[in-house]
Amino acid sequence: MTSTIRQMTTRGTPYLFLLPGLVILGALLSVPLYKVVEYSLYDNVIVERNPTFVGLDNYTTLLTDPGYWSAGFNTIVFTVGSVLGHMIVGIGLALLVNADIAPRARTFFRSMLVLPWIFTAVVVALNWQLLLNPFGLINYMLQWLGLTSEPLDWLGDPDLAMWSLLLISTWRGYPFIMVSFLSGLQTVPRELYEAAEIDGAGFWHKFWHVTLPQLKPVIFGVALLDLIWTFQLFPLVWLSTGGGPGRATEVLSTLTFRLAFVDFQFAQAATVAVSILIISAAFTLLYLRNESRRL
Amino acid sequence: MSRIEIRNLVKMYGAHQALHGIDISIQPGEFCVLVGPSGCGKSTTLRMVAGLETISGGEIAIGDRVVNGLRPKERGIAMVFQNYALYPSKTVYNNMAFSLQLSRMPKPEIERRVSEVADILELTPLLERKPGALSGGQRQRVAMGRAIVRDPEVFLFDEPLSNLDAKLRGQMRAEIKRLHQRLQNTIIYVTHDQVEAMTLADRIVIMRDGRIEQQGTPDAIFHDPDTVFVAGFMGSPPMNLVECMVTPTGLRLGDSEIACQTPPGLRSGARVICGIRPDDIRPAEDLPGGATATLPVDLIEQLGTEKLVHFRAGDHAMIGKTGGRANLAEGRPHPLSFDMAHAYFFDPETEKRIR
Amino acid sequence: MIKRRFTAWALAAATALTPIAGQAAEIEWLQWFAAENTDGFYDELVADFEAQHPDITVKLVTQPFGKVRESIVTDNAIGVGSDVLGLNMPWTKEFLDIGILAPLDAYLARDDNSFATSDLVEAPIGKIDGHTWMVPLNAFPFVMHVNMELVRRAGFDAPPATWEELAAQAKAISALEDGTSGIGMPFSSQPPSNGPILTFLPLLYAHGGRIMDGTTPDFDNPKVVATLQFLMEMQDAGALAPGAASRTGGVDLEEFIAGRTGFLISPGVHSSSITSRNPDLDYALVRVPTNGEAAYRVHGWEIGIAADSDEKEAAWTFVNYLLSPEVNARAAKAANALPGNLKALDAVREGADESLVRQMEILEGDTPVEEMRQSPKAAASWSVMTEEIQAMLRGDQTPEETAAAVQARWMDLAG
Repeated sequence: MTSTIRQMTTRGTPYLFLLPGLVILGALLSVPLYKVVEYSLYDNVIVERNPTFVGLDNYTTLLTDPGYWSAGFNTIVFTVGSVLGHMIVGIGLALLVNADIAPRARTFFRSMLVLPWIFTAVVVALNWQLLLNPFGLINYMLQWLGLTSEPLDWLGDPDLAMWSLLLISTWRGYPFIMVSFLSGLQTVPRELYEAAEIDGAGFWHKFWHVTLPQLKPVIFGVALLDLIWTFQLFPLVWLSTGGGPGRATEVLSTLTFRLAFVDFQFAQAATVAVSILIISAAFTLLYLRNESRRL
Repeated sequence: MSRIEIRNLVKMYGAHQALHGIDISIQPGEFCVLVGPSGCGKSTTLRMVAGLETISGGEIAIGDRVVNGLRPKERGIAMVFQNYALYPSKTVYNNMAFSLQLSRMPKPEIERRVSEVADILELTPLLERKPGALSGGQRQRVAMGRAIVRDPEVFLFDEPLSNLDAKLRGQMRAEIKRLHQRLQNTIIYVTHDQVEAMTLADRIVIMRDGRIEQQGTPDAIFHDPDTVFVAGFMGSPPMNLVECMVTPTGLRLGDSEIACQTPPGLRSGARVICGIRPDDIRPAEDLPGGATATLPVDLIEQLGTEKLVHFRAGDHAMIGKTGGRANLAEGRPHPLSFDMAHAYFFDPETEKRIR
Repeated sequence: MIKRRFTAWALAAATALTPIAGQAAEIEWLQWFAAENTDGFYDELVADFEAQHPDITVKLVTQPFGKVRESIVTDNAIGVGSDVLGLNMPWTKEFLDIGILAPLDAYLARDDNSFATSDLVEAPIGKIDGHTWMVPLNAFPFVMHVNMELVRRAGFDAPPATWEELAAQAKAISALEDGTSGIGMPFSSQPPSNGPILTFLPLLYAHGGRIMDGTTPDFDNPKVVATLQFLMEMQDAGALAPGAASRTGGVDLEEFIAGRTGFLISPGVHSSSITSRNPDLDYALVRVPTNGEAAYRVHGWEIGIAADSDEKEAAWTFVNYLLSPEVNARAAKAANALPGNLKALDAVREGADESLVRQMEILEGDTPVEEMRQSPKAAASWSVMTEEIQAMLRGDQTPEETAAAVQARWMDLAG
């Protein structure tokens, strides 16, 4: 009996040291989460000294607001488009920089290509605004190549803004995918490629029958992770287009911010945030299930 | 069935020369084994035949075609890799069918060929499985099946049995041999295992440091080695190779005098490397008529049907043999008989055979 | 036991702090002014104040302009708000709704102030709900910056003074060559998406128009429509820089500094960045071209005191210091703006550069207009104006429809 207690104390000691950290971490996670859900049940908060409890009224308002649905649709377009862009560019570049070339050149290209990753969203947004400006480099190039006859307002035209945003998002986000795939590619046994070569496979066959199947678990995990991140991505969108022109690129995260800090409708903002939370949580569960299956 | 001609093959890695002018001529249907210690260039040679390594110099011809500039799939070869290199995401069937699918062969024909080969290799019940669900020996057979379905002119094997345990290796060795008898294809087979080389080969090519040390039939290689290296490489336990002095009546081995016939060119007092296989050294009572010397036996190893007798001659540790039931004491001198008719003599400087 | 020890600690701490609490005060000053100043002027200012008032320490909390509004609101909500607040007039109504600001009437009525209330620039101190809520640190009119070289190359010898001249010159400058435009309209949705109040309102005021009727939005009146119509005509004539819907205020300023646009309507305070960043520019500062009225939109950096502040007395001491003619003149010069205390004008005029002198003329002669202070949901209304004007310039709706749409959405916001 005594020995059991002593054993428990000895075994418990490490956990005791973890306790302060766990408590702080738990509080940092759970308090804001709880607060956001609570806020969404009041008429307004923060700017209202005496909030009234309104139950699910905010959710009803939200679900009947076409602005919410349009932002939701934009979010899907932006998320799916970005993830596809990241995947295609990321995998393509990973294959290129995995090629058998001079090691020094390879290191050079590898470090150059992860650069978009290290810039802050502010810098990325500003640079692309300048590039996509009607007098910017991209319009200049397009006209010089004779592809367009007059400058296009890439970020100011509602028909082009989402595409431009996807371009920026792709540029910004591919390095993570590229790096993940690069490490995945290096685990593909060389002999598999040689066997495929002897079997008569060309570049695409090798990619399709050897590389992709080998990377499939990585692809699935990374794509889900990217989906979760992109789904709630805020700074890049806000700083590149501000949700405009009009509300052509308004996504759920910018809608949340607009409701909170432009309109001071914090309860409505909390409601949108909760809806983002629910969808993200669903993706996260999917991701965790996928990861545990891999292990 | 095709002839393979390798002429003056050279491989450079930067400034480092890995192959120094290899010449091998393989007859149609011949089973040729490249053997040697690791780093000798045997795998490089094979990979150059396959088209997986560029050719720095010389020429490779398969059939009547020089294949130097051809891609692997155009060379009419199939290869079995050391780690099998099966496509993990494909079923056994698709692993075997992949090359045929790539060549756009009609589906029924593919099915016919794969099931035929699967029958030969006893893979039929496994066709729908993925490689991950197979044992090592089964994977090995799938890898061979993948090569066979293509009906290539030439099979290339790159240490195909080195990942199997000893028992399985023996079985697979026999299976490969039977397969060759049945299919009669030309085969180049790389291994570092001299037993595989001896058992499988029609022709053995022994390589060392990027050069061919000797090539010939297993008999010729084993019984008529050209160099000290070849003599020591083939056979287990290896041939005893000891440096001796030539005397008017034979050799001085340590403190003992061994009476024997020495090659005519050797004068008394010259130094020579004498090679004699453990089989040709027996206790005097087992082998009457040999040259005898009484030497200290320090260790007996029981192998079952026979025993290895470790003894010393001067500074040299040597091995002889006796029957599994013989009773020999360790730690005591014992009269041993050397069958000098089967001794080999090598020049200590050039390590070449003196005949 | 732990509890007892804790109590002891708290007591000890309280005892230790009591004497300081009785005499010294620490106040926080949240503002963006220091973010727009590079030579450390505000640190010196605070040091100077602390030297004169050893019992008060001032903590300078500096944020970029775009962040200050939300910081004031969120800090206030969680009870960590600053004592002295840098303010922008358009935020007033929102902040009053939340109860962030303390009324300043009692302080202004004191007779030991360093300034006379009647000397202060008028717009910010006008009463709302019966009280004054802020005082002006400085003031500047909205003006038009002119690239004289482009004007001359387009065949004119003087900057435009009327709408008509503006449209003609802007069109001619746009026609000069690739890459030059008459005038930019920064109507990007990007935060704070305040392009309309930067460029549209000054033009409207110069036409004698307004967007408010008292405290109610009144956007769909004929003068607003006429001003929108004017923008549309310039757009159709190719006088506007392309890409208005993606043009931010920052880009608009940069393009002018780089010499690629003929005209820039913006706060007069920008003259210092223009002349310092591109000294070779043949630059002139003029009043915004009129269409019948000599009126300007007035703007400035305002100061208020937080309602939740525990150190209001010390806060006022600091505000009082900032408004004294001598200090106010220094602050105005540091920002290349006009002083909030007009008694400081002469001190500022001394050695002032031409662009500042021109601003003074405008300030002294023309009618100042400030409507945003009383407008409900001002910041949100900018987005509405921005989005609807974008649609108009795209050709999706007429000026009348635009005005009506803004009015409807704004009223909706105001609830």
